[in-house]
Amino acid sequence: MKITDIFSYAFSAIKLRKLRAGLTTLGVVIGIAAIVALLSITQGLQVAIATQLQKGFATDTLIVTARSESGFKLLVNDTRTIEEIDGENVTVSLAVILRTGYIKSGGRTSRVSIVGVNFTAYKEIYSSTFSAEEGDIPQNPENNAVVVGKRVSDPWGNGTLFCRTGDNVEIIWTNTTARPLKNETFTGSVVAVLKEVGGFSLGGPSDTSIYIPITQAQTFFGTEECEMIIVRLKNADKATIESTAKAIREAFGGQVTVTSSTAILNVISSVFSTIELFLAGIAAISLLVAGIGIMNIMIVSMMERTREIGILKALGMKNRQVLLIFLSEAAIIGLLGAVIGVGAGWGIAQVTVRIFRGGGSFGGGMRQTNQASLANGITISPVLTPTVLFGAIAFGLIVSLLFGLYPAWRASKLKPVEALRYE
Amino acid sequence: MTTIVEARNLRKVYMLGKVPVEALRGVNLKVEEGEFLSVLGPSGSGKSTLLNLIGALDKPTEGKIFIEGVDVSTLNDGQLADLRRRIGFVFQFFNLIPRFTARQNVELPMAIAGLGKEERRKRAEELLKVVGLADRMNHKPAELSGGEQQRVAIARALANNPRFLLMDEPTGNIDSKNAMEIIQLVKRLNQEKGITIIMVTHDQRLASEANRTVHMLDGLIVDETVNKP
Repeated sequence: MKITDIFSYAFSAIKLRKLRAGLTTLGVVIGIAAIVALLSITQGLQVAIATQLQKGFATDTLIVTARSESGFKLLVNDTRTIEEIDGENVTVSLAVILRTGYIKSGGRTSRVSIVGVNFTAYKEIYSSTFSAEEGDIPQNPENNAVVVGKRVSDPWGNGTLFCRTGDNVEIIWTNTTARPLKNETFTGSVVAVLKEVGGFSLGGPSDTSIYIPITQAQTFFGTEECEMIIVRLKNADKATIESTAKAIREAFGGQVTVTSSTAILNVISSVFSTIELFLAGIAAISLLVAGIGIMNIMIVSMMERTREIGILKALGMKNRQVLLIFLSEAAIIGLLGAVIGVGAGWGIAQVTVRIFRGGGSFGGGMRQTNQASLANGITISPVLTPTVLFGAIAFGLIVSLLFGLYPAWRASKLKPVEALRYE
Repeated sequence: MTTIVEARNLRKVYMLGKVPVEALRGVNLKVEEGEFLSVLGPSGSGKSTLLNLIGALDKPTEGKIFIEGVDVSTLNDGQLADLRRRIGFVFQFFNLIPRFTARQNVELPMAIAGLGKEERRKRAEELLKVVGLADRMNHKPAELSGGEQQRVAIARALANNPRFLLMDEPTGNIDSKNAMEIIQLVKRLNQEKGITIIMVTHDQRLASEANRTVHMLDGLIVDETVNKP
């Protein structure tokens, strides 16, 4: 029997029981749709986060911090030490002083991160994100120059500005080492407002920080110590990253932690892979249920068609051909369900993302007002990779065939005489 | 004349629940090529069992069947299926596939044998003309009378040019007028096309239409008559 004839025979049998076959197909559709929707949303989220991280966390950088348990402190001029250790691979190194304080403008006060950095070097490392939307970031800033993040200037995202370029603002920091506690203040002048960075920023510029020159930070906070040193390498090769990181660790006698952005990205992506696997596993359970549905309908169909199988065998059909007919029926249901399922899953992913965006949880638009949202400014677009697309279809097909195998095998083993006598 | 079917000392025991039932108790039979043989007997005499064994649908408990000199008991499932393609079955309850049209039903054995679409179609149409259903080809079984359905079944049985036809009470489900027509068709096939026919019936009148009749009772052939034309 030709394979096309086997398929058309199987198809005619399915057509006879449209409702039942339709419901079974629906089971497969739901299973595959769940897998595709979950995976494409997760992958979309991963892409969105990775993009954000790469923006705020250049891949060719290392972050050097003091190991907290040792009491060791990094100094601002340790940047020179680092440049001496590996002048060949280090192109820029930059000390960062970080404090939490307040900015006061026009009678209103807002809590911010105060970041002391060398503007020129910072801009060199984070050229895409440490960039002015309004005003200019000066090469040789005055001591009172202040660069503010987008959300500091425009906290509600609706054009009602907290401060703008040219404003004089008061920077307030509480010195907790002094007794009694003492509020230090200075009057700064906003020279630039940064472009919106987006949700995540590890090391790089963020929307809720303000930036002051490193020399000003040293004076204002009364310290020579810094929280971290950002080192930019001449390239992002694994070998370069590893050798420089090792050299820096050794130079500081193991008192520092050197974190590479790439390593963090890798960790995040492996976390996502785990989440993906977990979600896909949950979705796969529903496909398993669908598979049992297929087995069920196929067994019923086999019993109902016992006599028909007897006729086919009397007409000279071989066991193998009977098996193939039943497997084809399972394959048609599985394939149809999988193809529709991929489409449905993709649709569900799109709708889900839009619903979340509308609710502001993922903060799709710039204009959203929910400031408390975890990741304001991240837009997720579901991602459907060819692997997921064809993988899902193949998976649906394989599950259907696996569960169709037993009924098909039973059908093929029916004895002609008994099958013909079956009422 | 060549012997086309030979049964030697056939025995068949069924298990009816836990009770063994002897359906055949040592049957010997020879059928020659071109013959029209009827097997006559009351129900339970074992005639259908004999037919199933000759048709390679079932295996004997003891004894041997030779189809064209080949011992059926030596064949595996696949070879049995091949053998069945060379045998035409006609059943009491027609056993057509309800969702297929008359033509598709006739095409089915040819599709199973792997024939191409065009060839199938052409031959199915020819055969349906032979059985007098040229104008009913695209009707489904439910739209045909019992007599018409049995004609479709006969056309289907002829599809793969079988060595012989096996008919199990072919008129058992048809009114007497149509039954006579079916028998005339069968006789014509035998006389004009030389097709060997083995027909099981419990109807004395129909049985006498054959060249030869074997009488069965309680799993044995008890008598044999040659009918005058």
